[in-house]
Amino acid sequence: MSARSGRVRQYESSGQLPDQSGSPPTADSSGTEAEGLIFYHMDLYGSKERFDIFPEEPSGQADRSQGNSRKETALSSEKIQHSQEAGYDLEKEVAELAKMYGLDEDKEKELELLGGHPQTVERRWPPAHTQKAGSQGSVYSASKSSSPVKAQSTKQQGLPGEASQDEDQSKARAEDDAESHTWSREGLSSGGMSEEQSSQAVSEEEETADVFCSTCKMPIRAFDKLFGEHRDHEVAQLSNAVESEKEEIHKNMCKLEEQIAQIENFASHLEEIFITVEENFGRQEQNFEVHYNDAVQVLAQKYEEQLEALGEEKRQKLEALYGQLVSCGEHLDTCKELTDTTQELYLENDKANFMKAAVTMVDRLEEFLRKEVDLELSTLPDFEERKIDFSEVEQLMNSINTIPAPCAPVINPQAPNAATGTSLRVCWGLFSDDTVECYQLCYKPVSNERHGDEQAEHMLKVKETYCTITNLLPNTQYEFWVSALNASGISPPSERAVYVTAPSPPIIKSKKIRSCENAALVCWESRDINPVDSYMVELSKLTDEENDDTITESIVGIPNCEVLIHLQPIQSYRICVRALNLGGSSESSEPVLIHTTGTYFCLNEDTAHPLLAILDDGFTIACDELENPECDLPVYDNSFTRCIGILGSLIPFPGKHYWEVEAEEDTEYRIGVAFENTPRHGYLGANNSSWCMRHIITPSRHKYEFLHSGMTPDIRITIPPTRIGVLLDYENYRLSFFNADIAQHLYTFNSHFQHYVHPCFALETPGILQIRTGIAAPPWTALP
Amino acid sequence: MAGSAGGAEGRWCPPGAASSPDRSAAGPHRSSETMALKQVSSNKCFEGFQKVFEHDSTELKCKMKFGIYLPPKAETGKCPVLYWLSGLTCTEQNFITKAGFQQAAAEHGLIVVAPDTSPRGCNIEGEEESWDFGTGAGFYVDATEEPWKTNYRMYSYVKDELPKLINANFPTDPERMSIFGHSMGGHGALILALKNPGKYKSVSAFAPICNPIQCQWGKKALGGYLGSDASKWEAYDATQLVKSYPDSRLDILIDQGKDDQFLSAGQLLPDNFIAACTERKIPVIFRLQQGYDHSYFFISTFINDHIKHHAKYLNA
Repeated sequence: MSARSGRVRQYESSGQLPDQSGSPPTADSSGTEAEGLIFYHMDLYGSKERFDIFPEEPSGQADRSQGNSRKETALSSEKIQHSQEAGYDLEKEVAELAKMYGLDEDKEKELELLGGHPQTVERRWPPAHTQKAGSQGSVYSASKSSSPVKAQSTKQQGLPGEASQDEDQSKARAEDDAESHTWSREGLSSGGMSEEQSSQAVSEEEETADVFCSTCKMPIRAFDKLFGEHRDHEVAQLSNAVESEKEEIHKNMCKLEEQIAQIENFASHLEEIFITVEENFGRQEQNFEVHYNDAVQVLAQKYEEQLEALGEEKRQKLEALYGQLVSCGEHLDTCKELTDTTQELYLENDKANFMKAAVTMVDRLEEFLRKEVDLELSTLPDFEERKIDFSEVEQLMNSINTIPAPCAPVINPQAPNAATGTSLRVCWGLFSDDTVECYQLCYKPVSNERHGDEQAEHMLKVKETYCTITNLLPNTQYEFWVSALNASGISPPSERAVYVTAPSPPIIKSKKIRSCENAALVCWESRDINPVDSYMVELSKLTDEENDDTITESIVGIPNCEVLIHLQPIQSYRICVRALNLGGSSESSEPVLIHTTGTYFCLNEDTAHPLLAILDDGFTIACDELENPECDLPVYDNSFTRCIGILGSLIPFPGKHYWEVEAEEDTEYRIGVAFENTPRHGYLGANNSSWCMRHIITPSRHKYEFLHSGMTPDIRITIPPTRIGVLLDYENYRLSFFNADIAQHLYTFNSHFQHYVHPCFALETPGILQIRTGIAAPPWTALP
Repeated sequence: MAGSAGGAEGRWCPPGAASSPDRSAAGPHRSSETMALKQVSSNKCFEGFQKVFEHDSTELKCKMKFGIYLPPKAETGKCPVLYWLSGLTCTEQNFITKAGFQQAAAEHGLIVVAPDTSPRGCNIEGEEESWDFGTGAGFYVDATEEPWKTNYRMYSYVKDELPKLINANFPTDPERMSIFGHSMGGHGALILALKNPGKYKSVSAFAPICNPIQCQWGKKALGGYLGSDASKWEAYDATQLVKSYPDSRLDILIDQGKDDQFLSAGQLLPDNFIAACTERKIPVIFRLQQGYDHSYFFISTFINDHIKHHAKYLNA
C-alpha cells in the first residue's frame, strides 16, 4: 500500500514537471494529447532516479523533444543548419536523445508521438521550406527517428561509457545515406509522415513533379528519372506512393488513438487509487489517533496513581521517624532530670533527709532503668518495591493493529417471492464498513405459545450477506437473526426477523368441479395447517395444437377455496391453483381439465337417501329394496328421509343447463330440480321448492306427472321416454322435459326461480337411473 | 259459452261477415292464369298482414275464401306454411279473428293459412239443412256419394289445390309445411298428416274428433259423404289410420279441454286415439286442460304452445 501511495504522491509532484520543462505544445496537439503524454511520462518514469536525469540536461531534452513543435523556428532552422553542416553532430545529439528516451523499448511509441511534431510545424510553413530544406528536414527526422533502435543497442551494451562506439556506428549509418533512408522508411512512420508533408510542400512548388523516387524519398519529375541524378534510382508513380503512405499514416494514427485511450484509462484508474489511498490512510490515521490517545491516557493515569502512592508512603515513613525522634528526645530529657536530681541528692548533708530522699530516688531510678530503651528504627529508608502493571497498555497497544469487532448487522424484512414451499432466501446488511469475515445466521420456527417446548435453533455460517435455507416446512413462520464475525470477535445479534415459507400447492377437488357452457366452479383444499393469504387460479385454453402451455388468464386474490370462473362455450381448459402468502406462491396444483360443453355437475352424496346407492361412476343411482331397516342405516342431517332421492350440485350460474336421465321403461322415478333447502322429509314435487316429472305405472298405463306443490297437469304421453332431457333455462324462466330419443317436448314449467336450483333424482320403486352430464343442449330444446 | 250455444263451435259467428265480394282490392302478389286470387281484405297485424283472398277452386267448383297471415319475415324471405283447419260451422274468419295466433306466427316467421270449412253456394239440396253436415261441415273428405261428390272434396282441396295456390302466390318454402286444427279441423289435420307421411313436418290439434267412425258427428258425415259402407270410413279415421301409419317421425300435440261438453258427449274420443298411438308407438302429447271447454277461448289460451310446437319443426 505504501508503495502505491508513494507512486501517487510522485504523480502529484511530478505532474508539474512537464509544465515547467516545456510550455504546452503550441499548435495542433490538443490538451488531451498533452495530458496523455504527461501521464505517460509519469507512469513509466515512476521512480525518482529517472527524474533525476532531467535536471542534468533539462534544456536539451526539452529542446529536442518539443523544440520542433514550437514556433521558435530559429532553433529548428539552426538545427537543420547544424545537421546540414555536420551530420556527425546530429548523430551525436540523436544518441543523446536516445539515451534519455530510449532506455525502455516501450519508449519507441512515444517517440513516434513526439516525432509527429515536426510534421505539424512543417505543414504550417510549407512555403518557407525549399525543396532542399524539406529534404533535409526529412533526413533529420529520419535519423532522429532511428534513435530508438540505437538506444536499444546502447542499452543492450549496458555501458553508457561506450557511447562513442555508438556514435561511430551511427555515424557510419549516417554516411550511408541511402541505407539510412530506406531503413527509416520501413521502420518508422513518423519519418514517413514528415516526408510526405515535405513532399506535399514540394509538389505545390514544383508542378511538374510526378514521380516518386524511393531511393531519395522525394518526388521528382519524370524527366529527372530519365536524365537527372535519379537516373538509376527506384521510382514509383507519385499517386501510388501517396496512397501507400496515407495508408501507413492512417494505421499509425489508429495506434495513437488506441494509446491515448489506454493512457486515459490508466490515468483515471490512478485517480481512483489516489482517492482510495487517501481514504484508507485517513481512516488508519484516525484509528491510530484513537488508540494512541487511549494508551497515553492510560499511561498518564497510571503515572498519577504511582506518584500518589509513592508520596503517601514517603509521608508515612517520615512521620514514623519523626515520632521516634521525638520520643528519643523525651527519654533524654528524663535521663538528664534524673541525673540532676541524683547529683542534688549527693549534696544533701542531712542524713535523714538523704535517706528519705535516697529511697524515693532509688525507686525512681530503678523504675526508669527498668524501661527498655527502643533503639530500633521504626521504618526503613528505602521505598517499597512497586510492580507497574503494563498489561492494560499492552492490550491497548496491541489493539492498535487489530480491527474492531463488527457492529450488529441489520436483517432485511422478507422480500416478495423470495420463498418457496421449502426454502427461504434471507438477506441482511451492515451499517458500517466493518471488516467481517463471515456471518452467523440463526433461525428457528416461530412456535405457538401453546407449545411450551422451544423449537430447536439452527445455526450456520455464511460468507455472503444472504443465504437460502432449504428443507423447511411449507407455510411456516421462521425467526431469523444474524451476527457478524471477524478475528476480533462477534457482533451482537441483529433484530429478529420473521420470514414465512410459501404454502404447499393446493389440491383441486376434481370430483367436485361443476361447469356449464360459460362458467366453471372449481374448489380445492389447502394442504397447509396454517391459513394462507389467498389463492390464484391459472387457466389455459387448450387448442388443437400441441403447445397448450400458455396461460391465458390468471385470477388472483381469491380468499376462499372456491372460485367461479367465466369461460367460453365449447372449449377445453386446463386449470391450476396456487396458494399465496407473504412468502410467495406455491407450486401449481395438479391441473384439471374442464370442457365447457354442456353442463357438468356431480351428485351431492350427503343428500342421498340411505336406500339410494351411487355406483362407482358417480352418476348412476340405484335402489335395490324398499324395506327400510332404518336402525341400520346411517342418516345424515342433509339426506332425504322419505323420498329415495338425491340432489345434484349444479353450478350457480344463469343461462341454460341441460342434462339427461336414462331409465328403463318401467322404472318409476321423479326427476327435476329443487332448491338446495327443499324439505328432506317430503317428496319431490310435493312442495313449492321442487319441480319434477314423475313416472309411475298404473294398472292401465304409464302415468306421467309434472309436479310442483303437489299439482300436476293431466298429460298423456304415448311413448314412455327412456332418455329424458331436462332443460333448466334461467333466462326464459322455464324448466322443460323432453323425450330425448325422439326430440319430443313433454312439458314445461314456467317459473321465476328465486334462487339457484339443483337437479334432483328419486326412485319410487327399485330401479336404476343413469345421469348424463356434459351434453350440449340439443337444438330442438330451443322451442318446446 | 260454447256450452250455452248448444250447437257446433263458432255458431255465433255471422256467416260470411267479411266475405263481401265488393271489397276486392288489389290482386294477389302473383297471378297465374289458372289460379287467380282476389284479395278480399288486408289488415296490418304484428308488423305483418292478415289478409283474406277469394279464388275459383277447381277442386270444389266454387269460389272459396281463405285467410292468410303473412309474417314480417315474408317480406324478405321464404317462410314455412302452417295450415289451420277450422271446426264445424266455421268460415275462414273464425280463426283469424278469435285465435290470436298472429303474434306468435309473426315471432316465428310462419305463414298461417286458414281455409273455409266447406264449399259454399253450390246449391246442393240439403246442404244448409244442418250445422253438422253440408255447408260448414266438409269434414275434410273427398265425397263419393251424390250429390256431394262434385263439390265436397275438401281433402283434396286442402291437400293439393290450396298448397299449390299458396306456393304459387306467396313467398313460401314448399318443403316446409305443417297442419293443425280444431275439432272437425283437428280431425282433418290428423288424417291429412297420417295419410300423407312426411308431407307435414308436424301436426297438432285442439279437441280433435279422434275417432269419427265411433261418434255421432262422424257417422253422420262419413255416412253422408262416403256412403253406408263403414269400412270406407276408416280411411278418414285418425284412430284407424294410426294403426297403419308407417314408422315415421311425427310429433303430435293434442290439447283437450276437460270441461268440453263434446268430450263428455263422446264426440271426440281422444282415449281411443291415444291408445292406438301408444300401441303403435306414435309420439303423442295429450294434454287434458282442466276447466277448459270447446271454445276459441280455449284455443287462444294454448295457441302459442301449438305455434311453437310447429315452429320447432318448421324452423329446424
